[in-house]
Amino acid sequence: MKRIRFARKIITTLLRDRTQYRGRLFVDTASLIARCGVLLVLYYYVFQLKGGEVNDTPFILVAWSMLFYFIFMTFRLRDIARSIMQDVQSGIVEILFSKPISYIAYKIWWQIGSGVYSFLVAAIVGSVALMSIVGIPDTMATVLFIPTLLSVLIGGTVLTLLIYIIVGLLAFWIEEVNPVFWIVDKAVMILGGSYLPIALFPDLMYKFALYSPFGASQFITHTVYESWQNNWYVLAGIQYVWILGLAVVMVIMFAYARKKVSVNGG
Amino acid sequence: MRVITVSNLTKQFRFPVKNESTGFFKNLLNPDVKEVVAVDNISFSVTAGERIAFIGPNGAGKSTTIKMLTGILFPTSGEVNVLGLDPTKKRKELAYQIGTVFGQRSQLLPNLPLTDSLEFFGVMYDLTDAQIKKRTQELIELFDLSTFITQPVRKLSLGQRMRAEVAASLIHKPKIILLDEPTIGLDVVAKKSLRDLLLRLNTEEKTTIFLTSHDVGDIEFLCERTIIINHGVVMRDMKTADIAKDFIFEKYIDLFPKAQFEEFRSLPMGITYLSQTPEKITVAVNLHTLSITEALKKLLTLFEVDDVDVYDTDLETVIRHMYEKDSLRT
Repeated sequence: MKRIRFARKIITTLLRDRTQYRGRLFVDTASLIARCGVLLVLYYYVFQLKGGEVNDTPFILVAWSMLFYFIFMTFRLRDIARSIMQDVQSGIVEILFSKPISYIAYKIWWQIGSGVYSFLVAAIVGSVALMSIVGIPDTMATVLFIPTLLSVLIGGTVLTLLIYIIVGLLAFWIEEVNPVFWIVDKAVMILGGSYLPIALFPDLMYKFALYSPFGASQFITHTVYESWQNNWYVLAGIQYVWILGLAVVMVIMFAYARKKVSVNGG
Repeated sequence: MRVITVSNLTKQFRFPVKNESTGFFKNLLNPDVKEVVAVDNISFSVTAGERIAFIGPNGAGKSTTIKMLTGILFPTSGEVNVLGLDPTKKRKELAYQIGTVFGQRSQLLPNLPLTDSLEFFGVMYDLTDAQIKKRTQELIELFDLSTFITQPVRKLSLGQRMRAEVAASLIHKPKIILLDEPTIGLDVVAKKSLRDLLLRLNTEEKTTIFLTSHDVGDIEFLCERTIIINHGVVMRDMKTADIAKDFIFEKYIDLFPKAQFEEFRSLPMGITYLSQTPEKITVAVNLHTLSITEALKKLLTLFEVDDVDVYDTDLETVIRHMYEKDSLRT
């Protein structure tokens, strides 16, 4: 109960913090629409040239898949890595270690609180816009869609947080973690379908997107395709196996990191 | 009742150092390791309600000790017991009973009013909404926060922010407050205000105060006991009032001329010039070499004076001398 109350407090406090900056929210949403919009316009013309389908996939599915990717990105879960790095480098970590909280849980709720407002706005604005432009595909009108979407969204959120927490925790050992962050971040972007929709991936790359944690963290982009109806439980299983594995890695890393604290001063 | 007990506490930091004579992979995979002993086998205890200054030059081991007392750092060896708890094993449990302020790092929410930070910490420390409201009101009164309580924290002056930091760390009525350089960067007025508040807190709420500081004013005004640490070792642990008494080996004399000083003669052994102008001469007298009466007699034979002023060295100088002496010894 106490933990839930504190998590709720973090989220509501950050919501109040974020809503003070409507300009920033507007820029975030406009940037999402611009980035996603430009790609969708480009792909629209590519699909037109190919007779409306590429790789047996119609444009409407690709459009929704890409929108899901961009909406998920506005959650800014990746920023947890930089936030941990800054805590370690600036010594803020010691303030948090002196409080009656779990550092990792605190950072997770803080990150969710920081991104949830942009995420909700982007989800609503983006979905309404795409619904009015291309409509809703049949695959999104099935009974399975909403529950499996929610499941994979939660799984993706947890997995993304785990991946980036592990990157952030490296700051306890490595002075400059940014190159590692950059590599992981690009892997997530590429395998998540940021540049090329996953339906158009070559076989090997598709497999890598399925079985690597980077791709698995973005399974939300798979939910609109027809194949999702038959293999959603396999993908959800892959996601949860990675969650378990990386959670163990994170717990071990954090236990060692706690003993590695040697922040400035003294 | 003892609230802090530290026995043979040692903290050693190990960090890799680049060896220019070996290759990239050796440095990456098996680097040379340098060991630094930040705290070296120290022992002390603190009783409830005491006001302790834990002082020392940069790198002496002050912050490292405070961080071990709060469970942030793990000791290499030795034992720490704070309020009956081992900070390394019961960090969260202990956190409910202690407050911490790190002068150079803010714990407040920068974009929101101070009330939000106080509420936030109240929930963090598991207080009920009614308790938070009551305690916030008490802190507003105690720390005189009402004039800026609704302003975003980032718009507060440094002095206001430090008062807010201390207030936030007291939301849960801790039994001990550990302050690491609380007056750093504050102007004279803000320092005095913060010291007054801490003293009031100690008197009214019986909170034990354990502070590190470079500011002798903090120590003189606020702390009844001082522990001096250098190179990780406790050099002195004594009443603050006794430091100056026991360690003064110098007195200062100001000489004022009848007209003007025209000649600055060489001084006898044990007396040195600190400043020499036609209007005033200041000298330091080494009390190990000669007494103040002898020094005065000798000075009066050398100069024609209208008035003299004899005074003690300040605490800061005493402590500086102690650091210097300790450095020479090591």
